[in-house]
Amino acid sequence: MNRFIATLALCCAAFPASASENKLENFQVDTSVVAVERGVDTFMNACHGCHSLKYVHYRDLASLGIDKDRIAAWRGDSTLDSAMTSLISDEAAIQSFGIVPPDLSMMVRAREGGNSYIYSYLVGYYLTQDGKTGNHFYPITKMPDALGISSATDPAKRSELQGKAHDIVSFLSWAADPHEAERKALGYYVIGYLIILTVLLYNVKLQVWSRLKV
Amino acid sequence: MKNKIIKWIDHRFPLTSFIKHELTGYPTPRNLSYWWNFGFLAGIVLMLQVLTGLFLAMHYKPDAAIAFDSIQHIMRDVNYGWLLRFMHSTGASAFFLVIYIHMARTLYYGSYRAPRELMWWTGQGLLLLLMATAFMGYLLPWGQMSFWGATVITNLFRATPFIGDQVVVWLRGDYAVGDDTLTRFFALHYLFPFLIIGAVVVHLVALHTVRSSNPSGINLADKDNIPFHPYYTSKDFFGMGVFLIAYFIVVFFFPHSLIESANNIPANPMVTPDHIVPEWYFLPFYAILRSVPNMVGGVVAMGLSVMIFAFMPFLDRSRIPGGGRYRPVYRMLFFIFMLDILVLGYVGYVPPTSQTIAIGQVATIYYFCSFLLLPLISKAEDKWLFKRGLPPKILALIASEEEEKRKRR
Repeated sequence: MNRFIATLALCCAAFPASASENKLENFQVDTSVVAVERGVDTFMNACHGCHSLKYVHYRDLASLGIDKDRIAAWRGDSTLDSAMTSLISDEAAIQSFGIVPPDLSMMVRAREGGNSYIYSYLVGYYLTQDGKTGNHFYPITKMPDALGISSATDPAKRSELQGKAHDIVSFLSWAADPHEAERKALGYYVIGYLIILTVLLYNVKLQVWSRLKV
Repeated sequence: MKNKIIKWIDHRFPLTSFIKHELTGYPTPRNLSYWWNFGFLAGIVLMLQVLTGLFLAMHYKPDAAIAFDSIQHIMRDVNYGWLLRFMHSTGASAFFLVIYIHMARTLYYGSYRAPRELMWWTGQGLLLLLMATAFMGYLLPWGQMSFWGATVITNLFRATPFIGDQVVVWLRGDYAVGDDTLTRFFALHYLFPFLIIGAVVVHLVALHTVRSSNPSGINLADKDNIPFHPYYTSKDFFGMGVFLIAYFIVVFFFPHSLIESANNIPANPMVTPDHIVPEWYFLPFYAILRSVPNMVGGVVAMGLSVMIFAFMPFLDRSRIPGGGRYRPVYRMLFFIFMLDILVLGYVGYVPPTSQTIAIGQVATIYYFCSFLLLPLISKAEDKWLFKRGLPPKILALIASEEEEKRKRR
């Protein structure tokens, strides 16, 4: 038990250390299918040109419940069974950006801070004094401000772009852990079953031990 | 009919007498607390790990080019693959948690004392096997932390005198951790659980010879012993229910909390992660390794910090049974030692700064002192306690134990 508490304490103690000077926004991701669907749409327009999702296939979108016609529009010539690979070749990407843009299938899981980090990063672009874009959360990033949030000054426009960033995170969060909803739903049944079983086992134990005299 | 079959078997195999001797007639102290559930729980986790591991091995590919992909295949495409994988990854932590509690109980109640030294030593062997199995299993997902963790730990074998470099190459199968390392770690990760099962059998045979210790520290008279079945089977199964609830809450709701985020990035020998940390169950030992400035010294200190538990039957010179139960100084030392391990765990987790290194060094010195000074402390404590007076039952037991020792001579 002590060990477990220690681990929990360690995790709690470690969280502030993992964030950079800029605080991540405490971010609750909307994982509904509608949000994910909006996220795919934004992703296909803003990210998919350069970023792959090699572990996600178009058919996974269909099994999530997204409309077949929309998927057909996104995938173009690719088959339903093909992975959502990017449109740019590695060589071309290196020429343009100096780096192969990372695959985003596991991105939410691969960064400390998860959803909050990705969201904060996407909306963390700003204009530097010499007119270039910088990022508060990942200053050495080579990615341009894909959503254009650094130049958006109008509050309505900013909140629209923040909504888009949120949708992208919803989609990437699903992409990194597509069985999360199923897992949690099943979890309630399993825990419920185990609680009933354990209560019964406790009663068996009491029954058996009651045979002992004093 | 049933009787006839059993008779037929009994004529050829000691089925009835085995069940009677080991279960329905096996005498167990009736005053065991729930701290005595954890040996059984370790057995349950072992079975869970073997079973989930078997099914994972049916889909996993131990090849550096596709190992990471095959884990994603399990997580995404295999029916309930995510459940198998999360049960297995959470099970590793559960195994260590259960074993550490099991060891802490043994330390607290002084259960390692004569005549249970062999139980303690087979347990120590099991701990080493478990650590080796967990370490090799951690390489298999082939993520960044897998790769760099294995690189750092196999590198420690350079400290071997004279043949250090050769040993490292022999372990890795190559000059650096790579495909050969992955393949052999997979083979050994599949083999070791069977060694563990064998060692568990030895551990249990020893247990059934010396029988369970109990919280009172005294050997209970026959009337205070009850048969293992049905009393302790029912109690152990209830404990198992509670354990499974806690375990499955993590499996279903927080499975990622036990997986380092860097391990979701495929292994890349060209990029070192900012901060290489082992799994939580190795953190205190890792902190001891880092506390010693010299590499060889660090490796020796780390090895000793695990192995020193085996010396407890010799280090504890007290004649009083029951460990912390009757010995206030020992009890206090036990709790400070637990605290010390937590401090070491924290130091092992955070990136080293001059401050945490200093804390780690103090905690490391305390760690070893609590073992090495124990002979003196336990003797002094004995003197004090005998002067202060002990319960008559304990005194009688000490007298009879000494009588027995004299007879053996």
